[in-house]
Amino acid sequence: MEEEQEAEEQERFSSQQRLKAAVHYTVGCLCQEVAADKEMQFSKQTIAAISEITFRQCENFARDLELFARHAKRSTINTEDVKLLARRSNSLLKYITEKNEELAQLNQERKVKKKKKPEDGNQTCREPAEAEGGEAES
Amino acid sequence: MERASAGFRKELVSRLLHLHFRDDRTKVSGDALQLMAELLRIFVVEAAVRGVRQAQAEDMALVDVDQLEKVLPQLLLDF
Repeated sequence: MEEEQEAEEQERFSSQQRLKAAVHYTVGCLCQEVAADKEMQFSKQTIAAISEITFRQCENFARDLELFARHAKRSTINTEDVKLLARRSNSLLKYITEKNEELAQLNQERKVKKKKKPEDGNQTCREPAEAEGGEAES
Repeated sequence: MERASAGFRKELVSRLLHLHFRDDRTKVSGDALQLMAELLRIFVVEAAVRGVRQAQAEDMALVDVDQLEKVLPQLLLDF
């Protein structure tokens, strides 16, 4: 029994490690962009620290989002919950709200396009044919 | 318009969030995931940019952990 538990723990640990590594990679890329833009370097420790902080902050975000959705008697977190998450800074809230509207616009346009063209897997830039609009992901 | 910017992939964001959900039934909509990816990107960029500003104020050639520590409190308060 204990062996199984240990194996499970190991599994959970290594999947967490993989997630942290993925976060670290993205953080590194973003810092690189900022470094190039501002002409200032970041020490490796700084990038690691930002990465760790981001990873931890996700826990707060996730718990809050879950609670917000539950408070609204939903089991699916939506964009309203995310906006509520961004409430602490006015400029942040404004930015997120704008992004949300951009997204909604994009989705609308995509829907219209889909109706016109009944064809191909021609995907533009960013995401591959992922979830449309309000499709829930588990 | 293609953004030249790096960012968090939706799948990564999804995994990060699900890691901390208390309820198995909790899901995240696609739009919310994209918005969260954007929020996380801003979080990182803010941390980085504020770090740079601190380093510049201290006349440093490099953003080190000392500079990051100084900007951390306000960053966390803003998020």
